[in-house]
Amino acid sequence: MSDSTVIATKNLNLWYNEKHALQDITMEIEKKKTTALIGPSGCGKSTLLRCFNRMNDLISHVKITGELLLDKEDMLCNGMDVVALRKRVGMVFQRPNPFPKSIYENVAYGPRVHGISDRKVLDEIVERSLRHAALWEEVRDRLNDSALGLSGGQQQRLCIARTLAVEPEVILMDEPCSALDPIATAKIENLIEMLKEYYTVIIVTHNMQQAARVSDYTGFMYLGKLIEFDKTTTIFEHPKEDLTENYITGRFG
Amino acid sequence: MTDKFHTELKDLKKGVSGMARYAFSMLQDSQEAFINQDAALAATVLGRKDALREKTVELEETCYQLIALNQPVAKDMRTIVCSLKMIAASERIGRYGKSTAKIVNEIAGRPHIANMMSIPLMSEYVLAMIDDAITAYEAENIRKLEGFSARDDAIDALRHSIFREAITYMMENPKTITQATYYIIIARYLERCADHACKMAENVQYMETGERTEIK
Repeated sequence: MSDSTVIATKNLNLWYNEKHALQDITMEIEKKKTTALIGPSGCGKSTLLRCFNRMNDLISHVKITGELLLDKEDMLCNGMDVVALRKRVGMVFQRPNPFPKSIYENVAYGPRVHGISDRKVLDEIVERSLRHAALWEEVRDRLNDSALGLSGGQQQRLCIARTLAVEPEVILMDEPCSALDPIATAKIENLIEMLKEYYTVIIVTHNMQQAARVSDYTGFMYLGKLIEFDKTTTIFEHPKEDLTENYITGRFG
Repeated sequence: MTDKFHTELKDLKKGVSGMARYAFSMLQDSQEAFINQDAALAATVLGRKDALREKTVELEETCYQLIALNQPVAKDMRTIVCSLKMIAASERIGRYGKSTAKIVNEIAGRPHIANMMSIPLMSEYVLAMIDDAITAYEAENIRKLEGFSARDDAIDALRHSIFREAITYMMENPKTITQATYYIIIARYLERCADHACKMAENVQYMETGERTEIK
């Protein structure tokens, strides 16, 4: 595992009861790059994404074998503090899910949970996070309004700001634009490009053009296996595997 | 939708192949007109210029639309890129046919000198290269493209020898200067057409393998 790797898996397997949902996944995610996971529904891409901050722990009858490392640290060991892990590896979901609180409180919530109570420090965190999420200019005058009054695209950027507030190393995004219109989608995509400067982003998307636009690396998954993982330009210009070629050119899936 | 796109892509390939064959026939007929001093055949080549241009524009438009509407990737994308290059190379080849036909009009009344040097042989070689490149595009099979580099070297050597031979005749007898100059020009056209065949071959290789190669 090289120094530029932030997350690494080796022969990672996952079962939901009898269903072998991830099979021998071996990959390395590079720091401060965007990695996209693509593949047809049910191929395991969201399951793999959820492994990266142990969200699968919340589902019963899940069994995991193999290696999963975050900065060379074993993520699967019993001693791993899952709350601390999820601070380092944040997540943004398919549908925006702001808390029914003010815009300010949504962003300040995480830092408060992690023990920050100084108002001045919180103000700084809120402003910085909203700026990094490209939302500050739109909400600076109404920080105390309810987050639920924002548009869908703004809510999703607020959720990204909420994730950024606890200063994660890695941000996981599970179909972050699937509930958004094209303009809000374009804003999120621009944001992903900007986030790369500070964070590692891993995005699951059904939209192959989106994967092509935003990511540096792309992994194609099929039936629980990582079929091909390479630079995005290689995957979309001349993939090595026929299965990848057939999927991205729309011949199946 | 994807099936529709792939049907349109197949239709595009048929169209490009048809256009490439059309341009090939312009060069082929111009060479035949030159060898047989057939001004009537040369006139038919000149008459095909506008249709060649129309086909070029129409097929290019189709490529642009397929890209804009389908955002193709992988082999689909490479096929369209290759098709655009095939269209450009074919148009040039057709226009060299037209330029050769114009020369035929100039010199058809005068007997050939020195058995046309090696132009008939060079013409046969170049036409075979273009034919192989078009066939490789149609069949999506690059086997026929092996050896293109050596074939291109042979064409360069022929052009050079025609040039030297023509100079010799011009020095011996100034009355041959006009005709021998035209021979040099036709050899130059053929050499350029072979280069276009090499460009076609490089692009068919890219379409098939995704690898960029250079035929030197």
